[in-house]
Amino acid sequence: MSQPSASLIREPGDPGPDGLQSRPAIQTKRAWSRAPRHLARVLAALLALAAAPALALDVIATAPSLGALARAVAGDRAHLKVLAPPDRDLHRLQAKPSMMRDLRAADLVLALGAELESGWLPVAISNAANPKILPGRPGYFEAAAQVDLLDAGGRADRSLGDVHPLGNPHLDLDPVRMARVGRALAERLASIDPAGADAYRRGAQSFAAQVEERIAGWSRRLAGAPGAVLYHRDAVYLLERFGVPLLGTIEPIPGVPPTGRQLSELANRLKGGKGIILYAPYQSPQAPRTLARELGWQARALPLEPPANADGSGYLDHIGRWVDALAVAP
Amino acid sequence: MSHALARGLLSAALLTPATTFAADDAEIAELRTMLNQMKNDYERRIADLEARLERAERAASQPPPTAPMPAESLPMAAPVVHAAPQSPPTGGLGALTSGTAFNPQISVILDGNYYHDGIDGRGATLVGEAFRPGRTLHAHEEETDSAHAHGMTGNGFNLRSAEIAFSATVDPYFDAFTYLAIDGDGNVDLEEAYFRTRSLPYGLKVKGGKFLSDFGYINRQHPHQWDFVDQNLPYLNLLGDHGLQDTGLQLTWLPELPFYALLGVEALQGDQEVFGATLSETEQVELSLGDTEDGPRLWTAFAKVAPELPDNHALQLGISYAHADQHQAVLAHEHATEAEGDEVGAHEDAQAPDIEPHETGLAGDAALWGIDLVYKYSGDGPHGQGDLVFQTEYLRLIQDLQVRASPHPEDIGARPSFTTDGLYAQATYGFAPKWTAGLRYDVLGLTTNQVRDTLSEDFGSSDRWTLALTWNLSEFSRLRAQYARNDILVEPGERERFDAFYLQFLMSLGAHGAHPF
Repeated sequence: MSQPSASLIREPGDPGPDGLQSRPAIQTKRAWSRAPRHLARVLAALLALAAAPALALDVIATAPSLGALARAVAGDRAHLKVLAPPDRDLHRLQAKPSMMRDLRAADLVLALGAELESGWLPVAISNAANPKILPGRPGYFEAAAQVDLLDAGGRADRSLGDVHPLGNPHLDLDPVRMARVGRALAERLASIDPAGADAYRRGAQSFAAQVEERIAGWSRRLAGAPGAVLYHRDAVYLLERFGVPLLGTIEPIPGVPPTGRQLSELANRLKGGKGIILYAPYQSPQAPRTLARELGWQARALPLEPPANADGSGYLDHIGRWVDALAVAP
Repeated sequence: MSHALARGLLSAALLTPATTFAADDAEIAELRTMLNQMKNDYERRIADLEARLERAERAASQPPPTAPMPAESLPMAAPVVHAAPQSPPTGGLGALTSGTAFNPQISVILDGNYYHDGIDGRGATLVGEAFRPGRTLHAHEEETDSAHAHGMTGNGFNLRSAEIAFSATVDPYFDAFTYLAIDGDGNVDLEEAYFRTRSLPYGLKVKGGKFLSDFGYINRQHPHQWDFVDQNLPYLNLLGDHGLQDTGLQLTWLPELPFYALLGVEALQGDQEVFGATLSETEQVELSLGDTEDGPRLWTAFAKVAPELPDNHALQLGISYAHADQHQAVLAHEHATEAEGDEVGAHEDAQAPDIEPHETGLAGDAALWGIDLVYKYSGDGPHGQGDLVFQTEYLRLIQDLQVRASPHPEDIGARPSFTTDGLYAQATYGFAPKWTAGLRYDVLGLTTNQVRDTLSEDFGSSDRWTLALTWNLSEFSRLRAQYARNDILVEPGERERFDAFYLQFLMSLGAHGAHPF
């Protein structure tokens, strides 16, 4: 107690209690610990070599529209993969092993957000074992968090259907909001890959300019458009942007198909007016067709998303198709 | 209000001249469209103004202009703290708190049914007690007596469970989950309580706590996720009511490959009722089975592979292996039914009544193999119309045991091996929006249901056909009708054939769940 044990006050280099020099022992240990580090460095170098041709960022987009935006902003600097086919409902997709495989190696995930993909994306991300793309980290980008949302702040009451109090997530049909999302995306890409910062900003800028260029023409075409009946409040962003009236939705409340009576009430309300009925390919065509027959209007299935391989102009052509449909309503 | 007034004035002003001149139809139509246009235009402007006013008010009521949020992303489903500007300003409260924003996501799933079978309601229990050699049935009898916590289903109404699920991100390093199941009698069963790492590199994940093993495919699913009301025969009989649910650690690795491949191992305590079961201390002493060894006693390894397929198709193949280092069984047989007088006479306890069961104690180890295949097609119809799921698994259980205690001393030390396999194959198809039909065939003892000792004996199989019709009213509620034709081997040479009918409801309250593949 009064005298500390020899081994505790021993200087490095003093012979140990067993008579061995402790310094060499430590050095050997250090050398040992260095060996794996060297190995790791060599391995890292090898990996870097192997990865050299694939310098591009691995970007995964949930929706084809986000894929198109990423192509417009990042060009060749991103290797892009879109998870959802354009003709399927983004809200009802299922997590698939191939998604987890894609997310495993991703540098950045683009989601529309506001709970649109909540049935499958969180679980796919969590099972992809890729910490870079967890929500809250730079590798996770939600378009809905970059712009103001319509229909936000409603009652969180599911007797009103499949409501999303955070706001309507289908913002990708509004080219102006998408241009804003593009700028935010450019900043995010720049923070992940600073070497490409200028390229990303240029990409976002030129996409915004393209939108600007076409928006005037679209506004002119849609001035005085009679309006549209939608199946679900999914194209409201587009209608709101161009001031086209939303004449009604076929679903009385989100996610709930109409009864015959609700449909005929809608028809009675709209009788004598003009407009077009638009629905997505995955929505049931019966109700839109019935309504179209009763009103003498046209009912058209239009995908909410551009083709999976669309780029910036592909996305704008897709908006153009919606504009055409809304403008030519008899 | 001024809005409505203005609209009224406007329509009055416009309508009056239109009606007085009594113009022809075409003119009226033209005027009407003009009017509509003006009305729309007007409404739009008012909405614009209102929105601007609201924005101005909001800006005024928020003292410091909050930083623009573009840099941040909203977590997908967790409560969003910076969505707060939507809620009324907190000015008067005098304290800023994050309130309930840190609460875990909570959901409750109610699972109840009406059940009827032709054998006085014994059927729902019987399907889990199909005969296979080497099974300890004696433990089950005890459990039945003490109102066992599985919420026994009988003829009539049953509330199978109210499952309460909590999940949250603990910190940057862990997510954690808790699932409690409360049955109709109020018994609480902790189904799962585990943490899972978030940030490990190289595609690694560690899970620890009590959880459903990733052995096979259906093992990890909670009952409300099943496509049929009840579990299939191989799982029910080879793993028990809860499947392979145990306490331990899991390590998985998802390597970066051109296709999906997940490899995993688990070390589990081995507190099992069926596979890797250990008996009570009194029985261990009475039957000289030895003490329960230190855990972990149960090990699993699994691999799952999914080839790259075109959009809308998904296929996953899996192979799993589980090994229980310690497995104990007690087999009871009655000599009264055998009526082999000379053998009975050889016993010391020949005076005992003939119905006295003779107990044989066995100890050893057990191994379980599993192969699974799941194919899913996502249809292009509304609300799941055209969706197809095909799912099949094969399980094979091998118990290598040694007789430690027997009323027949010559049997002690014998090493019988018990092997039973089983298979289920099921398909569901969305034949209409929100409606799916399912068909399942399951069998216990597909090729083997035998004991091999000095001589071997095979006992045949139990099987069942099941039809289910499911109505998914919304993402949060589901009703199901199910009919099954059962042919269950109860004892060697003794079968029960019966029909069983279920009507089930599933209600999901609270957070929007997400299910893995």
